[in-house]
Amino acid sequence: MALKDYQSEMETCCRCSACKFIPLEKVTGYEHANVCPSISRYDFHAYSGGGRMAFGLSLVHGRVKYTPKVAEVVYNCNLCGACDVSCKYAMDMDVLEPLYAVRQECVKQGQTLPALDKLVAKMKKQGPMVLGAKGRHKAWHEGLDVADYTKEKAPVVYHAGCLARCDESSGRAARTSVALLQKAGIKVGIAKDRELCCGGRAYEMGYLDEAKAQAELNVARFKESGAAEIVTGCAHCYQYYKVLYPKLGFDTGLKIWHVTEYLAQLLAKGTLKPCKEVDLTVTYHDPCHLGRLSEPWIPWEGKQRERHMRVYEPPRTFRRGAGGVYEPPREVLRSIPGLKLVEMDRIKEYAWCCGAGGGVRESNPEFARWTAVERLNEAESTGADALVTACPHCSQNLQGAGGDGGSIGVCDIVELLDRAI
Amino acid sequence: MAMKKEQYRAFESVVGPENISDEPLHLDAWAWRSGQAAGAQDFKPRFEAILMPGSTEEVQAIVRLCNKFRLQYKASSTGWGSYCDPGGPGCLKLDLRRMNRIVEIDEDSMYAVVEPYVITAQFQGELMKRGLHCNINGAGAITSAMPLAAHEGIGHLSQCCSVGERNLLAVEWVTPEGEIIRTGSAGSIGEWFCGDGPGPSLRGILRGNVVPLGGLGVYTKAATKIYHWPGPPTMRLKGHSPGYAPADPPPYFMARFLSFADENGRALAIRKIGESEIGFVLMGFNANMVAANVATSNEEEIVLAEEYLKSIQGPGFCFVIAGNSARDFEYKKQVLDLIIKEAKGKSLKAVEGGDVEAGLMWRCIRVTASIRETMRATGVFGGEIFGTDSYQVQSNFIQHSVRDKADLIERGLVYADSTFPFITSLEHGQQAHSEVLLRYTPSPEVAQGTMEYVGKANKNAVNGHYGLPHHVFNDAQHDFFGPHMWGYHKWLRKVKKAFDPNATSESSHHITVKDPAAEE
Amino acid sequence: MVTEAQLKKVAGAGNVSDAPAALEAFAGDASFVGKTRPRFVVKVLEAERVKDLVDLARETGTPLVPVSSDAPHFLGDTVPTTGDAVILDLSGMKQISFIDRVGRVAVVEPGVTFGELIPAVAEHGLRLNMPLRPRATKSVLGSMLSREPVIMPHYHWDISDPIGSTEVVFGTGDVFRTGSAANPGTIEEQRQAGGVQKEAAGPSANSWHRVIQGAQGTMGIVTWASCRCELLPRLEQPYFIGSSELPELLEVIHWLVRLRLGNECLIVDRSFMAVLTANDDAEHARLVAGLPPWVLFFNLVAYDYLPEQRMEGQIEDTKELLQRLGVEAAQSLGGVSARRFLETIREPSPQPYWKIGRAGACQDIFFVTTLTKIPGLVELMTKATEAAGFPTARLGVYLQPIVQGTNCHCEFSLFYDPADAAETQAVRALATDVIRPLMGAGAFFSRPFGEAARQIMNEDGATVEALKKVKAIVDPAGILNPGKLCF
Repeated sequence: MALKDYQSEMETCCRCSACKFIPLEKVTGYEHANVCPSISRYDFHAYSGGGRMAFGLSLVHGRVKYTPKVAEVVYNCNLCGACDVSCKYAMDMDVLEPLYAVRQECVKQGQTLPALDKLVAKMKKQGPMVLGAKGRHKAWHEGLDVADYTKEKAPVVYHAGCLARCDESSGRAARTSVALLQKAGIKVGIAKDRELCCGGRAYEMGYLDEAKAQAELNVARFKESGAAEIVTGCAHCYQYYKVLYPKLGFDTGLKIWHVTEYLAQLLAKGTLKPCKEVDLTVTYHDPCHLGRLSEPWIPWEGKQRERHMRVYEPPRTFRRGAGGVYEPPREVLRSIPGLKLVEMDRIKEYAWCCGAGGGVRESNPEFARWTAVERLNEAESTGADALVTACPHCSQNLQGAGGDGGSIGVCDIVELLDRAI
Repeated sequence: MAMKKEQYRAFESVVGPENISDEPLHLDAWAWRSGQAAGAQDFKPRFEAILMPGSTEEVQAIVRLCNKFRLQYKASSTGWGSYCDPGGPGCLKLDLRRMNRIVEIDEDSMYAVVEPYVITAQFQGELMKRGLHCNINGAGAITSAMPLAAHEGIGHLSQCCSVGERNLLAVEWVTPEGEIIRTGSAGSIGEWFCGDGPGPSLRGILRGNVVPLGGLGVYTKAATKIYHWPGPPTMRLKGHSPGYAPADPPPYFMARFLSFADENGRALAIRKIGESEIGFVLMGFNANMVAANVATSNEEEIVLAEEYLKSIQGPGFCFVIAGNSARDFEYKKQVLDLIIKEAKGKSLKAVEGGDVEAGLMWRCIRVTASIRETMRATGVFGGEIFGTDSYQVQSNFIQHSVRDKADLIERGLVYADSTFPFITSLEHGQQAHSEVLLRYTPSPEVAQGTMEYVGKANKNAVNGHYGLPHHVFNDAQHDFFGPHMWGYHKWLRKVKKAFDPNATSESSHHITVKDPAAEE
Repeated sequence: MVTEAQLKKVAGAGNVSDAPAALEAFAGDASFVGKTRPRFVVKVLEAERVKDLVDLARETGTPLVPVSSDAPHFLGDTVPTTGDAVILDLSGMKQISFIDRVGRVAVVEPGVTFGELIPAVAEHGLRLNMPLRPRATKSVLGSMLSREPVIMPHYHWDISDPIGSTEVVFGTGDVFRTGSAANPGTIEEQRQAGGVQKEAAGPSANSWHRVIQGAQGTMGIVTWASCRCELLPRLEQPYFIGSSELPELLEVIHWLVRLRLGNECLIVDRSFMAVLTANDDAEHARLVAGLPPWVLFFNLVAYDYLPEQRMEGQIEDTKELLQRLGVEAAQSLGGVSARRFLETIREPSPQPYWKIGRAGACQDIFFVTTLTKIPGLVELMTKATEAAGFPTARLGVYLQPIVQGTNCHCEFSLFYDPADAAETQAVRALATDVIRPLMGAGAFFSRPFGEAARQIMNEDGATVEALKKVKAIVDPAGILNPGKLCF
């Protein structure tokens, strides 16, 4: 849908500023009440969800042109969806969808950022969507006795994601994930060096056509694989396969799992049995793409049936973030003997973003770092020894900001579980 | 008057380049109309620039420059209301977002000092940890904790936590000319506990039942009364947005929606509840508003409203009891039962018990559902906001407005969400306040209809001898009411003129100075 | 200068006096402000005359000093500063024009005293939130305009309480109404519409009642005002808590007020209490000997619904609170029953006013502060009193939580013998010299009177400039009580 198609959504913004804060019922004090990294960092109203609705309307009405200044505001946004959740606590309107549409308009108008162009170019060449990845260090799967599903069928596909191919820490997490699945007797296949980028980040950055093209390739590949399920350790990829693809009209034909969901099931069945003590107090960071953004897509087409009330024919259900993956990672953590889980103030559907998403890490590393430091400080305030997360992008961005954000360590949930198996 | 480049640079040198912008997209982020009383106009005039001062001194410097350059300014905190907009060009926006500190909480003396952008959710959250809490504006916990920022300062908790005009203590005020005045004890001895004196109180010109809505300088800090909180330090919640509910509802709290056969029954109950001081929250919602509060979507609201309307008798109110002890709680419940019996009231079973009651209770205390009740339908709400006065005046007046609302509904200009008037009780019934809210999709036709509606309300207020509605702000309305009300508007103008001789504090939502000869 | 004939034409022949005795009665008061005889004393009996007199005063450049209460006066605010001033004696305006039980309000003219209003409202099941044992001649309206502290902090939501709406004549000659009295229509029409002229704030974005309060008649002359009333309780149970540790009692009173346990609630020292309650010198001596240094008084009440159950519950809740705080309540102390004390404090004092009945005179030093600052302020004042050579046994202390505990009115009373010149001089000097140190320790002189008023005002130059602007609006000719405060 084009930006103009979201005019009604944007016009419904009443300017209440709820989008800047976590749902107000949840505020427990002065600290950690903010939820939007953009406005928290840059302060101008235009950076908030509501401000973006307003200038989205300006763009529609031609009051503002697509300029580099517009692009600066547009792209300094993680598209984390927190504003969308906070708004929908009280309102029936979409905030995030118009934000995607603005990005697409920017791309159409040629208002892109060089870093993002580069990323998309890499994707189109079927390289990993990671900047600065020169050559190949040791492949994450090297030495793993695992099938290549592009050559032989496997019932379960493990998708590592682009970062695993380029970042040692992410690669290690992917490797550990596969090893754990295998330990549980799951016949897993991977694409080894031929893994395709899911294309989702291109969508978020506004490159709609490129994202669609990539989705087509992915779907064809999965169909060939004969697999029934896909497990991924990358929250972004998870959300794109599960939510974005159906939104764009693509069907992978697979049951989509995040590795924490899958592991939680294995733990519940007793197929995996953590028995070693891990004496640690941790706090868990909900990745946006695993959390609030991963609520299943609800296709809808219809029209408003009442003049003075936004109700629709057929009835329209709003995705409000409640259906994200929140409990399975926590179940995984709670299964680890000796591990103590303490929660931060901003969690689940109102979690503070790590700062990596939306292309921000690549286009504005300073902002990404700032956002991550906020999160690390919040984690440290819980008294936890470590911040655990379930997304390589979160891991990478949070680890990268360490030093600026106190002394708390960052670790991956799968690797933590592995210590207990 | 448009801002010149060198003027922009002068302001930039005050706040820093990262805290000022005249980029069109930033200006338009503020130009998009508020959902409050939206008319047919989508975009309001643009501000010349957006400035974000970080301190009182920066505010002062900006105000002085505005006086020098003959530019206007309009300050706001979260900036929700339509009165945060300029009336025309030549005006700067002072977005006080960076002035967001809780300066002091004095638990022993039960007051706190806040800057404009502390929202009441944060403030109440901090206070609760200390066994205290505060009044929250009826618009919701998203609004400023400073009792000079919101239009009125009346809210769900005003039954026991008073209202903005009376909770205000000392104030730090950057006058329209750029002087810094600290009222009361703040000016005299540097403490914030008292806003009045020495001698006559300047609080008298800073606000009344309503605030000057940006038209009399900038309030950069204020002290506010706070109150005892008998609940837990933190309200632990379960569930996900938007369906939260307290995980462990505090033991001495209870929420109800009570309805009565007619307005007399409701009035009797509210009066008796006030006199017996058993109420913590008393909000004169109608059943539709309760449905909106409880429902997590418009679709659900329609279903619940139908259900509730079948179960109620007539006008009602939402009511929360909070006991300081088991005995206190038991007593309050028993008295409520007696009053309900006496006034022939009925409790809405659908909100009794379980997560529904607990959720309603917490949303009324934290005041988070006002957006649902007013804006969710279409993103816009309007109506008329009457005054602060005796319950009987509020009740008598509002009967006119509900008839006029019925007419609007009949004409299809507003949402048909019943015409039970909203009247709420303040300070255990010492005063009351009423409103008739309209939800609508804006259009020229609707704008015309709602304007006429407000016009009728204004005429009723005069002809019926009822008083000054709180929705009266701007010259035209003041000029209409003033001659019937002892010329209050002339005194308002004199204060404006004395303190803002250069008319730099944009006051299209307050009052402007006119030629004295024309006034006479 | 205005002439007698002009005044008589407006006020009525029998209402204007320049008799020496009449002038002398207003030339000074029990405070230390310098004596200045006014030119005339005009008795005002109708509200309409006030406007006429103000118009006349403006035309002739005549200072006016409005006086609501009958003598004796104590604060210096009714003493003219110029010899051409005219006293407007409003003490004869005694109408209680409206009492409404449902609205919990009474409307009074300036001359109505507490002694007159208390029984009048009681007939309607109402009572006043009133100051501590006011003198018999004290005007209710005058007390409210002065922002006098009241003894039920529970019902003192705002420092302006219990004042409601007013009708005021500004120095411009304009008659104005504040609050809901300004509603459209006549008073009768307003009442038919359900109005009770009680709301104090407004209209709109000003609250002129706050400007008139504390102004000592410099901003306007009030011709009537409404007074917020409370309900008469069904049951009452008063108590004392005695202690030698003031901080202990301050903690207790904080919680009593915070939890809204009880109505009347205050702390006095034994010296103050002895003067307040003793009927004669012998009793005074006994009380001084027998009372603990500090006494907290509070009164639990129950209203119409389940009063016995409520009272029982409140007593138990209070007991638990006091146990947590390590104190005990008693129904009598030092031979004084709490019930007698309750009756004493809420009835006007017969003549002579109790404050001057014992020693002959009393100089009050009062201000607003917070409970935590009190011990330091008491210590400071005690030391200053000793240093001034005044016996601390005759320094009385009265602590009154106000604004529901947000503030505390602190009153130091120096009971002295006016016939003793040295003592009088010591008191006079102390009353001025101690102001600055007290301010430095957290005393806010929100209601400055007498010799020190200008000094106190001038501590806050910005406020003074702003007040002068307001004064220029409502009294551009400066005819209203000139020379007071910063005007």
